[in-house]
Amino acid sequence: MACSLVVASQAAPDAASAVNRPVDFNRDIQPILSDHCFACHGPDEKHRKAKLRFDTQDGVVSVAKPDKDGKSELLERILSTDAEEIMPPPKHNKPLSKEKIATLKKWVAEGAKWSGHWSLIAPKKLAPPVAGNPIDAFIRDRLTREALKPSPEAEKATWLRRVTFDLTGLPPSPSELDAFVKDASPKSHETVVDRLLASPRYGENMARFWLDAARYGDTHGLHLDNYREMWLYREWAIAAFNRNLSYDQFLTEQIAGDLLPNPTVDQLVATGFLRCHITTSEGGVIEEECYVRNVSDQVDTVGTVLFGLTIGCAKCHDHKYDPISQKDYYSMFAFFNSIDGSALDGNAAQHAPVIRKPSPEQTAKLDAARAQLATVKKQIADELTKVKFTEEATATEAKAAAKKDFVWIDDALPKGAHAFGPDGLNLAWNFVDQSVLPPFSGEKSVQLTAKGFQQVVIQQSTPHLRVGAGDTLFAYVYLDPKNPPKELMLQWHTNAWSHRGFWGENRIDAGMDRSNERRQIGELPALGKWVRLEVPIATVGIKPGTPITGWAFTQFDGTAYWDKAGVETSTPQGDTRFATLAEWAKASAADTAVPQAIRDIIKLEPAKRSDAQKKEFREYFIEYGYAQTRDVFDALHKHRDELSGNIVKIESEIPASYIFKEKATPRPAFVLKRGEYDQHGDTVTRELPKAILGLPTDAPKNRLGFAQWVTDPRHPLTSRVAVNRIWQQLFGTGLVKSSDDFGTQGEPSSHPELLDWLAVDYRESGWDTKKLIRQIVLSATYRQSAKWTPENAAIDPQNRLLSRGPRFRLDAEMVRDQALFTSGLLVEKIGGPSVKPPQPAGLWEAVGYSGSNTVHFRADTGAEKVYRRSLYTFWKRTSPPPQMTALDAPSREACTVRRERTNTPLQALLLMNDTQFVEAARATANRVVKEGGTRVSGRVSYLFQLIVCRPANVDEQKLLVDAYAEQLSYFRANPTAAQKLANAKDATPELAAMVMLASLAFNLDETVTK
Amino acid sequence: MHPIHDALSAMTRRTFFGRSALGLGTAALSSMLPSNAVAAETMPGLPGLPHFAPKAKRAIYLFMNGGPSQIDLFDHKPKLVDQFDKDLPESIRKGQRLTTMTSGQGRFPLTPSKYKFAQHGKSGAWVSELMPWTAKIVDDIAIVRSVHTEAINHDPAVTYICTGNQIPGRPSLGAWLSYGLGTLNKNLPDFVVMTASWTGRKEAQAIYNRLWGSGFLPSKHQGVALRSQGDPVLFLSNPDGVSPDSRRKMLDSLAKLNQKHFDDVADPETQARIAQYEMAFRMQTSVPSLVDLSQETKATLEMYGPDVQKPGTFAASCLLARRLVERDVRFVQIFHRGWDQHANIASDLPNQCMDVDRAAYALISDLKQRDMLKDTLVVWGGEFGRTAYCQGKLTKENYGRDHHPRCFTVWMAGAGIQPGIVYGETDDFSYNITKDPVHIHELNATILHNLGIDHKRLSVKHQGLDARLTGVEDCAAVKGLMGEHPLA
Repeated sequence: MACSLVVASQAAPDAASAVNRPVDFNRDIQPILSDHCFACHGPDEKHRKAKLRFDTQDGVVSVAKPDKDGKSELLERILSTDAEEIMPPPKHNKPLSKEKIATLKKWVAEGAKWSGHWSLIAPKKLAPPVAGNPIDAFIRDRLTREALKPSPEAEKATWLRRVTFDLTGLPPSPSELDAFVKDASPKSHETVVDRLLASPRYGENMARFWLDAARYGDTHGLHLDNYREMWLYREWAIAAFNRNLSYDQFLTEQIAGDLLPNPTVDQLVATGFLRCHITTSEGGVIEEECYVRNVSDQVDTVGTVLFGLTIGCAKCHDHKYDPISQKDYYSMFAFFNSIDGSALDGNAAQHAPVIRKPSPEQTAKLDAARAQLATVKKQIADELTKVKFTEEATATEAKAAAKKDFVWIDDALPKGAHAFGPDGLNLAWNFVDQSVLPPFSGEKSVQLTAKGFQQVVIQQSTPHLRVGAGDTLFAYVYLDPKNPPKELMLQWHTNAWSHRGFWGENRIDAGMDRSNERRQIGELPALGKWVRLEVPIATVGIKPGTPITGWAFTQFDGTAYWDKAGVETSTPQGDTRFATLAEWAKASAADTAVPQAIRDIIKLEPAKRSDAQKKEFREYFIEYGYAQTRDVFDALHKHRDELSGNIVKIESEIPASYIFKEKATPRPAFVLKRGEYDQHGDTVTRELPKAILGLPTDAPKNRLGFAQWVTDPRHPLTSRVAVNRIWQQLFGTGLVKSSDDFGTQGEPSSHPELLDWLAVDYRESGWDTKKLIRQIVLSATYRQSAKWTPENAAIDPQNRLLSRGPRFRLDAEMVRDQALFTSGLLVEKIGGPSVKPPQPAGLWEAVGYSGSNTVHFRADTGAEKVYRRSLYTFWKRTSPPPQMTALDAPSREACTVRRERTNTPLQALLLMNDTQFVEAARATANRVVKEGGTRVSGRVSYLFQLIVCRPANVDEQKLLVDAYAEQLSYFRANPTAAQKLANAKDATPELAAMVMLASLAFNLDETVTK
Repeated sequence: MHPIHDALSAMTRRTFFGRSALGLGTAALSSMLPSNAVAAETMPGLPGLPHFAPKAKRAIYLFMNGGPSQIDLFDHKPKLVDQFDKDLPESIRKGQRLTTMTSGQGRFPLTPSKYKFAQHGKSGAWVSELMPWTAKIVDDIAIVRSVHTEAINHDPAVTYICTGNQIPGRPSLGAWLSYGLGTLNKNLPDFVVMTASWTGRKEAQAIYNRLWGSGFLPSKHQGVALRSQGDPVLFLSNPDGVSPDSRRKMLDSLAKLNQKHFDDVADPETQARIAQYEMAFRMQTSVPSLVDLSQETKATLEMYGPDVQKPGTFAASCLLARRLVERDVRFVQIFHRGWDQHANIASDLPNQCMDVDRAAYALISDLKQRDMLKDTLVVWGGEFGRTAYCQGKLTKENYGRDHHPRCFTVWMAGAGIQPGIVYGETDDFSYNITKDPVHIHELNATILHNLGIDHKRLSVKHQGLDARLTGVEDCAAVKGLMGEHPLA
């Protein structure tokens, strides 16, 4: 095989055109100087050799221009044979090729003309060389110069599939295809494009590209790699594209939404762009170091995505290639360094600052519940005024009774408790006697054998459990040594199930981790003996005086026996009713379940009580202690607690999203020597590199000013970088191939005039992204056939000259979404939290930290979760979905503006064997059998048309029919195999053969290629 | 971004097109596959590589994740015994930064190892009683006691040693090897990763896909996980009901249809895809036989110890590693977790050692007896070391140690490595290096060197810089570790 690689040739876009045309400094010379000379003779002052710099006109022209004897020092040195003299020095490991030397010679011969780096000079809109669509004019002008012809227009079906994928990420439906092919109107293409741009799928597709750049993920990305809640940002991006938010505003809201006047919740959510970076809370980390890394990530991402410069290079020293000094870097850093929040994420899903955004339904529910709660509170107040009661009493605080165990559950459920289940999750309470296991106390214990997450529960218990300050909840447990659980959990219900403590592995996914809702108390206790588990009420956020009305013993796997559970307390228990205030005062003076303020009043002489205290005291007694009014108030309290529990529950379900919030006073910023967080150099203020464009004088010195700068019409980079990325999305390669680097180390544009024309036009259009895309996909250039010809293959193998239409493998998401769409499985719903379609077992476990809340993968169930578009798939950054990464999706740990595109056997295995691709083949086969008529040939051609979006030709049809026949004979001979593949007991061999054929079609090169 | 790759792929494209134009493209498909198949399958790596004759054809990296305690295993410090519970002198610490797990400790009590050390082999290398099997192979390995790093926490430190940068996004060592050297075999990936089970500390530090990721290199260079659960390679098995024969027939039809499409469109990518499906099919056969340990002799299984029978253990992974390199997989990396002994060294560390000690011994011995050690490089080590002072409660029986980046022990063996040496020295506290320091970049440079790569010349332009595995600062492969030149 190696033999086929021997042919040596240069494949750069301009190589073929090196035919006698004048040397262009930016195109031909600058890249050579940058690559071979700038490391020692560039912008980096500290490492500059011989005081020579080639990045400025004076510097380079002084050594390149022939002197009066006609000698150019530059040429002398590069042509020297003396090892001491020759440039670049051999130890630099970067010798010049013969071609490059020839180019330099030619440049000197032509007078060594210089110009500044092209991308730092503002673009100009030159008149296209010929009339018509300006894109085609520029492209064709170049093709003519290269003696190439454009390709003919692609088949209508080909263009429709191409444009539908490009604009929506999905293929066209058969009816869309049919309608378009039949539409003979000259506007038929425009009609399609307008339909696609108006489809909500457009925003989903565009957002996907943006989320790579924004490095969006659903976990923190470092160390524990816990869940992070910021999917509202994804939703914002989808909506922004769908409403065609102008690109300048799109950037402004993401960079500085919080600094806009009266920002909306959505504008705050947009600032999540800056917060998508990876974070940590690893034990032992130094916060300052993490803070510097976080801010650097923001600066680097902004640099790459917004203006295509690799400014991260200037973190440790002046940029070696581009005119960005270390001071420039930290002056830019200063714009982003003042977030009002910790650099460490606390391993929390909501790492402040965050904003909560209720859905309209949640707002409605909350409003209703709050109104009801107000009504009940008013009823309580009204009832209080109705009670006639005038007794006054006082009591001195007796020494509090010693705390002792009050047992709530032992041998039987407490009186008045309601057991839940059995229903799968909630098992029946199974009290067993000593024939099974000697109990710890009494005569019985509760046996619980769990498969996964299971529990026994009581709720709505009256009387409830009363707790005072410093009380400790307890339960005794015995773990079966032969089948120990992986995790034990105790849960308590106050006004909601929001207090949990667990022992062992963090397997039970209930409540927010590391909060009162899910607190680790310790390791699993010893096996094979009775152990007392204890949880101080404060540890799980139960306040003194809060009634506990429910209790659950919960396990993950294994068998445990539970016994004697209750609270160690001095608070009186049971249904306490008092006929007189005096009795109650005596009983309550030392009861820490009674609020301290009330207990203080108890001790006061009535005469010394203020009117307010008198009222408070009287009302508390009537509400909580007075026998005659108990029934009225108990009922009202129950209603009140249910409502407030419901409010807590709704509130806890309101999604939050990370935002940027500025500290009141900006943090000082310094040059960090060698980029090290603890090596402060000079203090810097907020400034922007003058070599690009100085900060406009009227702009505020904050992120809003930064946004004004980056969207300033004079900014040379922003619009070029943006249109180039769109071009790359549609054609596979940008006009500037290095779409992440427009600096001197990047590649020059293949069509500089076109890039500039598009950039200026985009800005002049009001940064109208849909208009830009519309213009490109309607161009003849985009509408070309993608077929290779001997001519275009020889001169333009990489299609940089656009002598063919674009043809390249679909992105991972498109490949999967296509299979779900064509098979009819896809559930289309815009937005919402991420979903977990199935993936092979063990991937998260193989890498995850045992204490992480993403160490165990549990697939979602239900079509509305597992068959969503891939954009919504949960993205664990240290172990991303394998169906995506196999097809070159990035890990989202860092900003990515250009995906690689590889072709591997692992992709073949994925497409043939992954569960969801098999399911899609199955569903498609069923669809074909239902909709494709009764004859084999009809079904086969229907299948092909459905998946490939064009009719099969005669040869293909024959191959498909043969393939079907082969598979059919196999499945006829193996009917059980047929049933297995089709996953149905009554599956016919015909159906199974069709599943195989559908799978084949999903694996076709044409199917996975645009 | 990848100028060389682009040039290569362009060449390939033209070559294919040329063939097709000559009529070969429509020749019988059987002649196209697999021997005539495309570059993606047998990509020989970059032109000009290897830079010089390699000493190692392949390498196995036994990665001890968490930071094994060098003081309790290899870096014998007898003088510490008298220093029990005394304070670490400031003259030794020199105010260097500590993790925030111990920087707040009131004092830093010195903690000698509770384990006995003895000298072994002709080299007389000191090895602790926790590694009795490794002690038997000291004359085959080079113990490097002077490796150091800057990172003091797991995530950055392990990312640093595996990818050359503390911040995620860079290609891993194996990805660089795959990118630079290409693949040696047609049926298996060039870079295989295994994550072994462990028995020491249950709360083990995480690892991350990025440790074997391709970073900014094309994703085909990323490590392929060989798993002990489910399919050994993801998505390897046919769906229920699909037999190998039915799959073969489907692939034949697929290839014919793809070929038809190629005849029409002539994009060489289509040819590449045909070849990749063939390789996928070959993997379906070769991988199950690869992981079938029943083909091993009783004597071999015996050597690796009883753990080898349990899928997913370190012992089973080591034996698989040998089977992989035997099949010319270029680079195998086994991650063994649980080496983060902040506390409870007494019970956790012996368990960790039992997992790996015998298996590592067996791997070296096995390679040696098959005459493969001469061209297989083996590396054993973690991301940093552990402190001479105690974290938490100190007793003579039990203690814990915090992360220590300033010195730790790694051992290397095989191709190009001088056997039976102990390289580098640390002070009496195993705190600072006193002789022959080896930075982790230099360790990686040495690994690359032995595989025939000048680390300075294996670079890719990324974000405007020539990014390489070994960072921007000057460093070199460690000459003092180089031994004979078996392949020369």
